[in-house]
Amino acid sequence: MATLPHNDIFQLVREPIDTVALAGVVRAPEDGAVVTFDGFVRNQSHNRPTLYLDYEAYESMALTKMREIGLQIHEKYRIHRVAMVHRLGRLEIGETSVFIAVSAPHRAAAFDACRFAIDTLKRTVPIWKKEYFEDGAVWADGEMPPAPAATPRAKPAS
Amino acid sequence: MTVFFFGRLKDLAGHAEDSAEFSDATTIEQLFALYAARYPELAKYRSSVVASRNQEFAAWDTPLRSGDEVAFLPPVSGG
Repeated sequence: MATLPHNDIFQLVREPIDTVALAGVVRAPEDGAVVTFDGFVRNQSHNRPTLYLDYEAYESMALTKMREIGLQIHEKYRIHRVAMVHRLGRLEIGETSVFIAVSAPHRAAAFDACRFAIDTLKRTVPIWKKEYFEDGAVWADGEMPPAPAATPRAKPAS
Repeated sequence: MTVFFFGRLKDLAGHAEDSAEFSDATTIEQLFALYAARYPELAKYRSSVVASRNQEFAAWDTPLRSGDEVAFLPPVSGG
């Protein structure tokens, strides 16, 4: 695999995410802060007890979109490295589904970049979760990615 | 042309991948309409579907070419 700019890490995995290791990987002597986001499986959804979740992804496109988020936050914020990992398959209550770690020389950029990264992931990365309950399963309500509008057509001369 | 369905759209279409028997569709809109005619439940979700062509979000009037990879994506819910 080609080396990514900034030595960032973007992965889709089917095993538990090693959050401690990832938070350590992004830090370097020139940094002063690492901000992490640990998203994990909640035990209820709209007051219905959740048994477990099952995540699926359009894997190749999801990785592309995750890398795009990485490039965006390097452009927008003065950060050092990013690690962004999403888990797929069946996840039990309390297990980490997504983990993002951002290192930076100063904390403000790391906070801002980490917040932007998770918000953008949730809106643009093609991943879906199915919620399993005692009495059945449903696909979680999601967010509509911002798709391009119809191709503009040439206006007739007026 | 290869077509993918994800999430609840996969359940409604009954499969995740199709090597497009509808390979004569000329736009993404037309391709979706052909599947919706075969699987009427799909049509109900048209307003919440986003399409992609070759792994980029694409407008509904995007022209299709042979060899394209098209996917129909319900609202995303990762995280």
